[in-house]
Amino acid sequence: MATEPKLSHTAAMILQALDAGFVYGFSIMEMTGLPSGTVYPAMRRLEGEQLIRSQWERQSVADAEQRPPRKYYKLTPAGRETLQASRKRYPLLERLIPTEEEKSV
Amino acid sequence: MKPPAEWIHRILDLSLLRCASLVVPGKQRSEWWREWHAELWHVRQACAPEGSASWMGEREITAFCLGAFRDALCLRGDFGKRTRPAAVFQGSAAQCVLALAAALVASYAVALLLPGVRAERSLSPRQVSPGLVLIQNAGYSDDDLPTISPAQYRVWKGRKQQYFDGFAFYRVAQESVEREFASSGSREQESWEIARASSNLFVLLGLPVKFRSPEAKADSSLPELILSEKTWKREFGADPNVSGMEMNVGQRRARIVGIVPDDSRGLPGNVDAWLLQPDSAIVSSGVGYAVAHLTALGESEMWRPRVPITVYNSDEPEDDLLGISLGEGTPEPWPVFLFTVLLAFLALPAVTSVSLGEYSVCSQRPSWSKKLCSWGFLIAKIALLLAIVNFVSLDLAYARTTLASTQAVYIQLVSSFSLCLFGLRWVFKDQRQRCPVCLRRVEHPAQVGLASRTFLAWNGTELVCMGGHTLLHVPGLPTSWFSTQRWLYLDTSWEFLFAPSVAGPRNELLSGWSAH
Repeated sequence: MATEPKLSHTAAMILQALDAGFVYGFSIMEMTGLPSGTVYPAMRRLEGEQLIRSQWERQSVADAEQRPPRKYYKLTPAGRETLQASRKRYPLLERLIPTEEEKSV
Repeated sequence: MKPPAEWIHRILDLSLLRCASLVVPGKQRSEWWREWHAELWHVRQACAPEGSASWMGEREITAFCLGAFRDALCLRGDFGKRTRPAAVFQGSAAQCVLALAAALVASYAVALLLPGVRAERSLSPRQVSPGLVLIQNAGYSDDDLPTISPAQYRVWKGRKQQYFDGFAFYRVAQESVEREFASSGSREQESWEIARASSNLFVLLGLPVKFRSPEAKADSSLPELILSEKTWKREFGADPNVSGMEMNVGQRRARIVGIVPDDSRGLPGNVDAWLLQPDSAIVSSGVGYAVAHLTALGESEMWRPRVPITVYNSDEPEDDLLGISLGEGTPEPWPVFLFTVLLAFLALPAVTSVSLGEYSVCSQRPSWSKKLCSWGFLIAKIALLLAIVNFVSLDLAYARTTLASTQAVYIQLVSSFSLCLFGLRWVFKDQRQRCPVCLRRVEHPAQVGLASRTFLAWNGTELVCMGGHTLLHVPGLPTSWFSTQRWLYLDTSWEFLFAPSVAGPRNELLSGWSAH
């Protein structure tokens, strides 16, 4: 039997936001309306479950824009699969946070 | 240039983040700090850009920073799980004892910090002689007012008494004192509340005079000055070598011969120092306080803390006086505590079952050594609880007062009894929910059956020991056939569920257990 992790609505929203191109913690907060105390711990758990992965942006990019470098997050293939399953479970997810492709449609 | 309010907000936000970072495990701290610091920069740009800071924006930024604590706690929790895969410590007897010990240390630390508790402890056990009364004029409602004249005192002392076998007198007045500082040679003049007292006052009271040196006593040419503890600390920095020093009190030279503990024996007058002098030196004018020691006959008549006394004078109208018991008005904290403990033990069956609920579904019983451990744990919990209650009740009673007041005794009585009663209730309840084998708290309560079918099938709650030793069945409604909780000792067929190698499935299964 396939063991697909069943995500909470919050975790599914975060995955959807990442898929929609909101790749920083604060931008996910702004998009979802969730507080920082929810978003960051949830992202750590998702990272622990290898549904997302994080990476630091290059220092040169941050220096050019005169700001500190940020850590950004990306969906992993497993995360993308889980998000697909979550979209079936939470049908309103895509309407709440549309991706670029969905917007263009 | 940034306005000062903006700087304050920035410092506050960074301080919050820095505090939260202390919760994060050391290995992850630097990266965690880097991420939150960078995000804070962006949050500030979005919510309160430079020059257009607003109260709402700052509030949002602070809320963002407060979220860092939750993230840090999550990381700490995950780290804890990784470092203790079996979560052996959680809910264990050791954790419980350590938590109680920490509470005890905290309550003791508070007791050390509160001056009222310190004063009370330094006086304990009180050494005031029994059978002492303060004699006051019955016409005054305030016991603290001086009402006895030296002439009255002399008359009583000169007469043969049936009820009293010793008298002492003192009168409090503000007097100037002059001290010399040996180091600088300078002199300092101050005004103190000086009690000029009969030389036998402290002998009569039976109070210990600290730091009394034999040399100081041997030189009897100078009057003896005894400092109160507060004056000793305030003026002499609690110098233990103060005994033997000389100073001018009024017009006379006096020698400090010791320190007497403050307050508490109920002697009125806020005295800074006691100047002992013979009765012949007591000035006849003014009024003061008289202290008397009761004979055996007098003690039998002193059946209340306040007893009226009538003095018959041959050629003058009789004096209506009041004998106020000293030292008995305010009981000491330790007997009060013991009394409340006794009361709490007596009242305990009214608030909880005192049974430890060690009934087994099957014939299996824990070994004697396990039983001994269980009893040892229970006794340790009770001992720690009582010590905590003692200190917490003292903290509460003497938090705002440095005197052994009636109010403090009442506060101690009520707080000690309440804490003791509900603490003992918790101890027994906790003990009933401890696995008899490993003393860990049983977890994951699962509701079984329906309350509406109590008489058709079993209805209650089942809890499991995370060590895999036992199941606890607690009836929802006690019946004649299932009145108290029962333990089911799990056999080896359950081991796979609790084996460390299948930690994942175990958690999954137990999550399901809670849900059904």
